[in-house]
Amino acid sequence: MSATPGGVAVSDLHKSFGSHPVLRGVDLQVPEGAFAAVLGASGSGKTTLLRILAGFERPDRGVVAVGGVTLDDDHHHLPTERRRIGYVSQEGSLFPHLTVAGNVGFGLRRGRSHDAVVAHLLELVGLAGLARRYPHQLSGGQQQRVALARALAVRPRIVLLDEPFASLDAGLRASVRADVQSVVRRSGATVILVTHDQDEALSLADLVAVLRDGAIAQVGSPRDLYDTPRDPELAGFVGEANLIEATSDGSTAETRFGRLALRDGHHSAGQPLTVLVRPEQLRVTPAAEAAAGVAARVVETGFHGHDAVVRVAAEAGPPSPLLARVLGELRFEPGARVVLSVEGPVHSWPREVGG
Amino acid sequence: MTSGGASAARPLVSGRSVQARRARRPWLLAGLSLAVAAVLLSPLAFLLLEASGAGVGTIAHIIWRPLTATLLWNTVRLTVVVTALCAVIGTLTAWCVECTDLPGRRLWAVLVVIPFAIPDFVVSFAWSSISTWVQGFQGAVLVMTLAVYPLVHLPVAASLRSADPSLEDAARSLGVGPVRIFLRVTVGQARGAILGGCVLVALVILAEYGAFEILGYQTFTTEIFTEFQVSFNVPSACALSLVLVVLSCLILGGEVPARGRGRVQRTGQLAQRTRRRHRLGRAALPVQAALLALVVLALGVPVGAGVYWMLEGGVPMLTGVSVLDAGWHTALYSGAAAAVATLLALPVALLAVRHPSPGGRLLERSTYLVLAMPGLVIALAISYFAERYAGGLGYQTSALLVGAYAILFFPLALVGVRASVAHAPADVEEAARSLGRSPGGVLWRVTLPLIGPGLAAAFCLVFLACATELTATLVLVPTGVQTLATQFWAYQQNLAYGQAAPFALVIIAIAAVPSYVLARYFDRLPGRSGATV
Repeated sequence: MSATPGGVAVSDLHKSFGSHPVLRGVDLQVPEGAFAAVLGASGSGKTTLLRILAGFERPDRGVVAVGGVTLDDDHHHLPTERRRIGYVSQEGSLFPHLTVAGNVGFGLRRGRSHDAVVAHLLELVGLAGLARRYPHQLSGGQQQRVALARALAVRPRIVLLDEPFASLDAGLRASVRADVQSVVRRSGATVILVTHDQDEALSLADLVAVLRDGAIAQVGSPRDLYDTPRDPELAGFVGEANLIEATSDGSTAETRFGRLALRDGHHSAGQPLTVLVRPEQLRVTPAAEAAAGVAARVVETGFHGHDAVVRVAAEAGPPSPLLARVLGELRFEPGARVVLSVEGPVHSWPREVGG
Repeated sequence: MTSGGASAARPLVSGRSVQARRARRPWLLAGLSLAVAAVLLSPLAFLLLEASGAGVGTIAHIIWRPLTATLLWNTVRLTVVVTALCAVIGTLTAWCVECTDLPGRRLWAVLVVIPFAIPDFVVSFAWSSISTWVQGFQGAVLVMTLAVYPLVHLPVAASLRSADPSLEDAARSLGVGPVRIFLRVTVGQARGAILGGCVLVALVILAEYGAFEILGYQTFTTEIFTEFQVSFNVPSACALSLVLVVLSCLILGGEVPARGRGRVQRTGQLAQRTRRRHRLGRAALPVQAALLALVVLALGVPVGAGVYWMLEGGVPMLTGVSVLDAGWHTALYSGAAAAVATLLALPVALLAVRHPSPGGRLLERSTYLVLAMPGLVIALAISYFAERYAGGLGYQTSALLVGAYAILFFPLALVGVRASVAHAPADVEEAARSLGRSPGGVLWRVTLPLIGPGLAAAFCLVFLACATELTATLVLVPTGVQTLATQFWAYQQNLAYGQAAPFALVIIAIAAVPSYVLARYFDRLPGRSGATV
């Protein structure tokens, strides 16, 4: 716990609802001032983890500490209102009977600075003109901003964000996300965001923890998590993945795309491997222009404007199609003959060869 | 910025400041709710006790009389005819007001609902005082239909208002004509509401006493009243009560399977579009004439007859004093009962909303069994209990009357309290906790402001129902005390129409206006469309 003097330290956290275990030994350290994301599928226990940090639920076992002070262990449970941990829920949970200003100022003591603090926060979240509105007169994005301002008003040490962008429509989500990120970063608080959206986690956070089956499967920077996931399942969870069979050759691997450099470490020669090829590493070239590579046919193309995802099937080898990400201006019609090659080093795991 | 709680003094790391865990299973709430359910079902238990005291043979002998068959025939045919009429009238008025471009529909919406507030015995008195034709079966059909059709109108109107207009558009795009759209889509969507309204109508008819007594139409309630109050034949009253409760249970139970089928599902709730109204065109005039006729019959006649008899009778000074006195007692008992019922409903509603579980749902449902117990039966069971087990101490005391009211109108209170508790979701309270408010502060600054208006509405609803209650009041009112309803009844029984009329008008006045306000309040609550009670 000494590693995170002002941050959050969670160790061996267990929580069951009835006979159903939700958290089974969660360990997580978030350094002071970090923006951390807890990424998990629905039902992985991420909201339960957040509710325990906020003090709404009490863990069955384990320790929660902030800045070296224990909030929860077998003997102690600090009630929510004394934790100074802000919480922004998915719905915003604004007080329907109070105005925007009333909501933001709810946790503040009445005093000279009260109105000024509220005005400052509303300006910070870009809602300066809406102080006298009621929650039902606001759009979803505005409600989220008010909820954030309300949480920040009491100067929390930690801000918990529980899928705050999930209920917003796609167009709004990007702008609210960016605003929230800049606002909470300026506040200096440690932030923990839970989300099921890997895009959101990778783009917003500087530390991502993947929660799987009630335990942390991997923690790392977004880059690390994307490039060197701990196992093939995680690789698929944090992005699209082509998993290709290979054989180790020391620091390289022999594959059907030729010899590929391994990103990390060595395996003993002859060790069977699974290598991870991200779609953007798979280069697709029209057959007419290519020199060497694996011959394949385009199965289908999903066009996204800035880029396109092409599904290709190699003419030899395993029949499962591969995914490649190409720039949007490149056109690949279904059925077109192409040649595939892999760029850059790849991540690998030893593969057990079944009998 | 944390607000220092009482137990904040000790440093966390050293002390064992174990806070009370948030109970995972709400034992306290469950216990309280169970106690409430026991109180509510106690009249039924007393009734069964009473019956078993008289002996199964005696009870069976009483039930197997030709009289029972007559009563059954009278009660059932009236229930069927009036319920069918109310279903048609209530659905049509609701559709005209909510779905068409009827001129002046805001005014119509008010006028069509007001008859709901006029007690059935007042409507009955007004009609029978002006026409000798209005008596017996045809009189009962006329009076009850005019008095209770709003019980169908109100839920159907609420349901149509919140119905999804895109369904009608979809049906039109599939090439379905307007009449079939009305029958299959519009009425189909409101089916639950119509059914719920019909169940209420049938239950009201089974429980009604005063109106039938005035009209000289014999049903179970009038016979039970006579056996108990006039002949003091307790076993007979008890046996007939059992039959009546069974009938009510059948009606209440009949709704459950029908309700489960085809629940109306609404997709895309955020996109609330304004409903296109059907154009009446040339039909506008006849529709308005029909509505006018309905309002004249249901509202004009009772008020007009009251005013007529009052002017005719030349109100003596004595009446003015006794109106005040009776009004004071009505307010006293009704206020106390409303407070008790609201308080009793609180744990049941909290358990149902905050801790949903199969057991809790069963408990909540069981309290609705009260609906199957007519006020007369509850009053009899309670007075029997007071006489037999409390040594006659409690009989005809104010407490007993207040208790009977609270049990009788508990379902009404529960509807209001449940809706108001749902207004204060747990996540909003948690948000307040995370902002540094203590549990007490949360209760004061968040929970109470949110549920307060709903609690007040529930209180008013029960208050009004008690103020216009006649049957149980006649049985349980303390000796020598008159309420508005009992004083009206006494004058009416002596054919002193001129003296009864002011009481009728006062009852109409105190019931009509607040009832309208309350109806609007409950219409605006979300998630209330098509619910019963």
